[in-house]
This record gives sequence, structure tokens and C-alpha cells, in this order.
Amino acid sequence: MSDANMEEKVEQATSSKTISLPISRVRLIMKSSPDVSCINQDALFLTTKATELFVQHLALSSFKNGSGKETNTLSYSDLANVAEETETFQFLTDILPKKILAREYLKSLEEMKKEDGNL
Amino acid sequence: MASSSGNDDDLTIPRAAINKMIKETLPNVRVANDARELVVNCCTEFIHLISSEANEICNKSEKKTISPEHVINALESLGFGSYIAEVKDVLQECKTVALKRRKASSRLENLGIPEEELLRQQQELFAKARQQQAELAQQEWLQMQQAAQQAQLAAASASSAQQAGSSQDEDEEDDM
Repeated sequence: MSDANMEEKVEQATSSKTISLPISRVRLIMKSSPDVSCINQDALFLTTKATELFVQHLALSSFKNGSGKETNTLSYSDLANVAEETETFQFLTDILPKKILAREYLKSLEEMKKEDGNL
Repeated sequence: MASSSGNDDDLTIPRAAINKMIKETLPNVRVANDARELVVNCCTEFIHLISSEANEICNKSEKKTISPEHVINALESLGFGSYIAEVKDVLQECKTVALKRRKASSRLENLGIPEEELLRQQQELFAKARQQQAELAQQEWLQMQQAAQQAQLAAASASSAQQAGSSQDEDEEDDM
């Protein structure tokens, strides 16, 4: 299948007019937000579909921006990077800190100590 | 995935649904497990984000229930305006489907016969059937009776004829 065909198929799948995520679960999550009281059923539909679009958007952006394009992989760091670099995804940085190697962490700790020592 | 603590924050979209969406969006791409787990949590975070923003907008409008309008405004103000067109389309589709379903069920109820009427008709049919059966049985009984009577008569005349015949024989014997 050519690239153009593949892209078309992906577009068809992603712009479907139905909702595939479980609406009841979305409602539960919404209600667990502080202060949220009553939600109109239509508003619930909208939120559910928006969440679907969000997943697609996040996955696509992370992949396009990431380092796994040649190897056709998507990694944790791809996601973390896109969250940090894209304004609309910055709200995610709280829950996905960039993983750093332990030795790098220790190194930066040591450097901080040194700076403290110099002061 | 039982949560004994009942902590609301443990609520997430089912992993399978997310996996399916990732697969449809990025076919043939290998996605690390921890990345998938991350997407699941990002979803929850996104829903909270939208809910809070929509809730704030709702409070400002002095309405008590979060309406579709509030959600759309929330999406816009949070930078997800590009989702709005498609999201509105889906809402329209959902409403149309729901409307069709309601129309279909009400049409059926109007054409069909209500249950009580159906029961009444059933009872009538049963009564009729019982009556027919009874009449048939009676007819058969009468026929049997008639047949039996005829048989009796026939038998009686036959035996009297025989008796007459045999008494004649006896007389002849005596004379010899």
C-alpha cells in the first residue's frame, strides 16, 4: 500500500463520526474532578470525543517529533519531549517527568553541591 | 483491577481502548509499554483539564450544569480549538442517531396492538376453540348412540328370527 493510501485510511479511521471510548468511564473521571457537579449528556459526548482526538493528536505529534521514525517505534521519551516542547501539551509535564539516567542525576547532584560549596 | 482504596484518582480509560486507538493512529509502529501506560494517564489528565476549565466557565455563566457550549469554550481557551469542528460533528451524529431510535420505537408502538387487546383476543380464540371441541364431541357421542341403537335393534330382530326357527324344529322331533 502506498503512503498516500495509508494516510487516507488513517484519516478515515481517525475522523469517524462515532465515539469509541467508554462514555460512562469518562463521566466518572469528570465527576472526580473537584467541584464538578452536573454534566449535560451532550457535554459528555463532546468531552469523550475530544479525549479521543487528544490521544490521536498526542500519539501523532510524539511520533513525528520523536527519534523513532526510522525504527518505527514510539518511546516514553518521545512523549515526554513533546509535552515539554509543545505549549498545548505542557499540562502533562506534571505527570511525565523526563526520565533521566541515575548517573546523570548523581552528577547533577554533585555539581549542585559544588556550587553550594563555592558560595 | 479492583481498587480497595476506592481512590477516585485511580480511574482511567481502559488500557485496551487506548491501545486500539494508538494502533489505528500509528499503524505498524511499535509502542513501548511504559509509553502506553503514559498515554492512559495523559487521558485522565486531559479529562480533568477540560472538566475544570468547563466547570469554571459554567460557574461564571451562573448555570448549574456544564453544557456543550462550556466544553467548546474550554477547548478553545486551552488551545484545543482544532478539535472543535470534529467534536461538534460527532455531537450532531449522536443526536441524529438517538432521534432515529426514538422515532422507530414510537412508530412500532402505534402500529402494534397493545398487550391487553392481544390477551383479550387470545382468550376469545381459546373460548371459541373449546366450544367447537365440545360441539364436535357431542356430535360424535350422538352418532355413537345412534349407531349403538341400530346395532341393538338389528341384533334383536336377528335373534328373534332365530328363536322362531329353532322352536319349529323341536316340534318336528316330538312327532316322530
